[in-house]
Amino acid sequence: MNERPEPSRVSEIGEQAARAFAEAGDLEALDRERVRFLGRKGEITVLLRSIGTLAPEERPRFGDLVNELKARIEELFESRRLALVAETAEADLYAGDPTLPGRRLTAGGHHVLHRTAAEIKEIFFGMGYSLAEGPDVELDYYNFEALNFPPDHPSRDLQDTFYINQDILLRTHTSPVQVRYMEKHAPPLRIIAPGRVYRNESPDPSHSAEFLQIEGLYVDRAVSLGDLKSDVLFFIRAFFGPTAKVRFRPHFFPFTEPSAEFDMSCFACRGAGCAVCGKTGWIEIMGAGMVHPHVFRYAGYDPDAYTGFAFGMGIDRIAMLKYGIDDIRRLLSNDLRFLRQFWTERKADVLR
Amino acid sequence: MKISVSWLRRYVEITEDPRDLANDLTMFGLNVEGVHALAPEFRGVVFGKVLEVKRHPKADRLTMCTVDVGGARPLNVVCGASNVRAGLGIPVALDGAVLAGGAKIKRSKIRGEVSEGMICSEIELGVGDDAAGIMELDFEEKPGTSLDGKLGETSYVFDVEVTPNRPDLLSHVGIAREVAALYRRELRLPELFPLEAGDAFNVTIENGRDCPRYAAVLVDDVVVGPSPPWMQRLLTSVGMRPINNIVDATNFVLMELGQPLHAFDHDRLSKDAIVVRRAKEGETITTLDGTLRELEPGILVIADGERPVAIAGVMGGMDAEVSEATTRILIESAMFDPKLVRRARQRFKLDTEASYRFEREGDVGIMLEAASRAARLIADMRAGSPLARCTDAIHEARSLEPRSIRLRTAQVNRLMGTALDAADVAALLDRLGLPSRPTGEGLEVSVPTVRRDLREEIDLVEEAARVYGYEKIGLDEATHSSMFASASASERRSTGITSYLVSRGFAEVITSSFMDPGDLERMGWDASDERSRPLRVANPLTENQSTLRTSLLPGLLGVVKRNAPSECEEIRIFELGKIFIPAAAGSGLPREEHHLAGLVARSAAPLQWLEKERRADFFDMKGELESLLEQLGFSSGLTMSASRERSGRIFRWHAGSVRIAEGGVVAEGTLERFDVDSPIFFFDLNLDAVPVESMGWPRFSPVSPYPAVKRDLCIVVSEKVAYTEVRGVIMRNAKFLDSIRLFDYYRGGHLGEGKRSYTFRLNFRSADGTLDGVAVDREVQRILGALQRELQATLRTE
Repeated sequence: MNERPEPSRVSEIGEQAARAFAEAGDLEALDRERVRFLGRKGEITVLLRSIGTLAPEERPRFGDLVNELKARIEELFESRRLALVAETAEADLYAGDPTLPGRRLTAGGHHVLHRTAAEIKEIFFGMGYSLAEGPDVELDYYNFEALNFPPDHPSRDLQDTFYINQDILLRTHTSPVQVRYMEKHAPPLRIIAPGRVYRNESPDPSHSAEFLQIEGLYVDRAVSLGDLKSDVLFFIRAFFGPTAKVRFRPHFFPFTEPSAEFDMSCFACRGAGCAVCGKTGWIEIMGAGMVHPHVFRYAGYDPDAYTGFAFGMGIDRIAMLKYGIDDIRRLLSNDLRFLRQFWTERKADVLR
Repeated sequence: MKISVSWLRRYVEITEDPRDLANDLTMFGLNVEGVHALAPEFRGVVFGKVLEVKRHPKADRLTMCTVDVGGARPLNVVCGASNVRAGLGIPVALDGAVLAGGAKIKRSKIRGEVSEGMICSEIELGVGDDAAGIMELDFEEKPGTSLDGKLGETSYVFDVEVTPNRPDLLSHVGIAREVAALYRRELRLPELFPLEAGDAFNVTIENGRDCPRYAAVLVDDVVVGPSPPWMQRLLTSVGMRPINNIVDATNFVLMELGQPLHAFDHDRLSKDAIVVRRAKEGETITTLDGTLRELEPGILVIADGERPVAIAGVMGGMDAEVSEATTRILIESAMFDPKLVRRARQRFKLDTEASYRFEREGDVGIMLEAASRAARLIADMRAGSPLARCTDAIHEARSLEPRSIRLRTAQVNRLMGTALDAADVAALLDRLGLPSRPTGEGLEVSVPTVRRDLREEIDLVEEAARVYGYEKIGLDEATHSSMFASASASERRSTGITSYLVSRGFAEVITSSFMDPGDLERMGWDASDERSRPLRVANPLTENQSTLRTSLLPGLLGVVKRNAPSECEEIRIFELGKIFIPAAAGSGLPREEHHLAGLVARSAAPLQWLEKERRADFFDMKGELESLLEQLGFSSGLTMSASRERSGRIFRWHAGSVRIAEGGVVAEGTLERFDVDSPIFFFDLNLDAVPVESMGWPRFSPVSPYPAVKRDLCIVVSEKVAYTEVRGVIMRNAKFLDSIRLFDYYRGGHLGEGKRSYTFRLNFRSADGTLDGVAVDREVQRILGALQRELQATLRTE
């Protein structure tokens, strides 16, 4: 046992420890090696004990060597231990296979019509419009009469109506909100009013007995057709993209005058003419116009003091255009395979 | 309405490509929804060269031609035209060819001689009006070259959308007037037959308001026969069926001037009289469609001396119909009260070209012109001799005068956002045939009878705007006043709670506002339940869409059925929508409530390798409902009641006396009646019961910096004691309780009959300092003492 310690022995033990730690495959094996080198009866202890066999003048230098060795081995051990801990933890984290699917909840999502309505509302909120609401079951007065549809007039044939009785009906458009709101608020005012509307029409790919509409109304002292054009143009570009081409042309609605319709260049053929747009290159987006003086009078506003514009569009139609949906009846089908298609975004936008 | 471009050209010069014309008209306010190109329709016709012409041996007026059509040998064709001669280039219909109108050409024998084809006239090919001889081609082609699609001009027909305010556009002259205004061209009105207004025929109008004007023209020596090809072609191109020269002439005027005419067989009118009157009770008429119709005093009729011969403005009767035997006719050109025409049309469900126009109140000034135009056409066709003396009964002469409307220039500019002066506006209106003279504030505009839709200033503003051009109206953003807005509180709340549900894996659905009345029985609601008395639609599309929903639940059950288990293993759906509860008195508008309803069914979570499959249950639903209620501000303070009903095991949550929500398990029977496969756990929240205005903002309270001390307690109680009672006692008797959580629940088994245990994790914390073990032990002892005293609870020890 009283072998004479050699400096060469010190470096030899260092190499042995480095090899042994590297070969230890797990923490248990590593710990066995730690005991072998650093334990109470380990190699380092043996070396330190053998110091007594040296000449007194050699002892301090040898002692320094062994302490250096000890520090190095401890360092080697710690770094190997950390590496092994990390390896083990990683194996636990991934269950051995990081490509396994992650834990998921059931996916949910908003209905495409409400998603569309939310996008539309957000744009108009930014433009200073606030939200108004009216009843689905409406008085004939608000749905027709106060909107300048005289009784027994062919303009009433424009909208097939569900009646509850002679005076009460299911609103055929969101426009009744105009008069209801104006009755209760003084100008200036700027509102949008989304809601469900009803038409007594047999369903087909482009007609539904119930659908969503959104109404807009802006009344102030000098609102003009120019203002109408500017607001609608801003909306269409915000919603369909900045390059959407828009056409503004005269039309007729009993409750606006001058009246107009807005068309957008067909997204499918980019204006060349195709089946989607009836070969015209244009798709009708919304009806609009300057509030008719009769409507102002019904609402109790002085038509000489105020002017205003109103617009209305079908949310179903807008959603169909934006998302390329071929049949309006799908929107209320509640087929989850259909609804799921609008829960996530697409990477590339087809609308350019 | 269909409008033929060739027809328009009779009244106004059109040099534009038809597609450009369509676009220009659309931008001018007349929406052209479709453009159809109609090429002459014939096939199997080739270029031929006449080589030789010989007399037909058996018929003087026929010739036998040898025609080169490019084949191995020339064809023998029998021809009846006098202009056929050798060397002529002609269109030859070969065996099997189809000509305009659908006639098929076959190899045949004509008076004993074989004819292997036919040499065609313009009319036979539908490329022109010349029927007198064969068509002489003024170009050369290799014999045998197909001429299909190469002869004649393509004609264009527009589908135009005429809005109800513009009856003047329901005719070719009306649209030609717009084209003339659009391109600043001259309008050429059709030729008329000179008439002398008088009382040539006995017309009695019972009430001038029912019939403001009635003109009648007599035509003698009528010879009923086919109308000329040009007229037939124009009528056919706009979708009208040619019938005979008289009817076609009246239809032609209808499409030309927009005035519906009616021709009566004069000799079948009894007592030589026309009476415009209300029908008498019990009278009947057999209309031209062969239907016997019972009349009533609300219906305006044209009668002769005895009986109704027409329903005014809607359809004539068979009794005085023009037939082959007719020799004298009376042409009616009248105006009727639009409301009466509308009533008769709706009453008999008879939509006709005439009723469509009368309902829209045409031009009261055009009656005589229209009658005289028909007389002109009939005379030109040699179909009869119109008498110059006619009848023209006018209720109010004033109604023919132009209307005068004042137009303020400032109003035009204010609405259009322009800076025009009075002269500019006058020039715009002048293009539409609306003369004006300047006044102090603007113009005094004179509106002829043809534009009776222009009643007041605003109508003229629109006319000025569309002639000016909507596209030219500038984007004048400077006039916008500053108004700012944001989503309302209720909008934010709706968005918040629906987004919560979406993030919790719920799919938002939108179901119909209509409810099948059969759903009331299927749901199993009590008759006393207000949901059992829905609002009925008077004219529903179908019986199963005849009421308005009183609950969102039937719709949601429909969605479960719609999505079969094979397509959708987990069902988590919700809808935010309105329900309709009829007003108490049965009149007035119903109460519309905003509800948020949802349900869970089938699997609780997606099938996946990390989790055991689990079926959705009551507590899946309840957890979501509790979270929703918490978001609406109800972290406590709601009472829950339970009841067993035909519709299921139903729980209701009240705040005071206000019902906020209900939810539970849908009854087996209801599931069967809805044909739904699996148990369904639903909730239904009345959002209107929690007014947005009643909701406050969260308030800050300090967070304790000291650590919490954790204790787990397992309490055993009788099963008559509910969880909320146990929890209540703990909460009431703790001073430092920071949170309480139930994490185990057990009943029966070794606890013994009628017992259950709740295991709670309690966290204690003080805001003033770190709690020591002694203080916590005292707290626990106090809680246990209270539980023992109030609920006879014991602490369970293993």
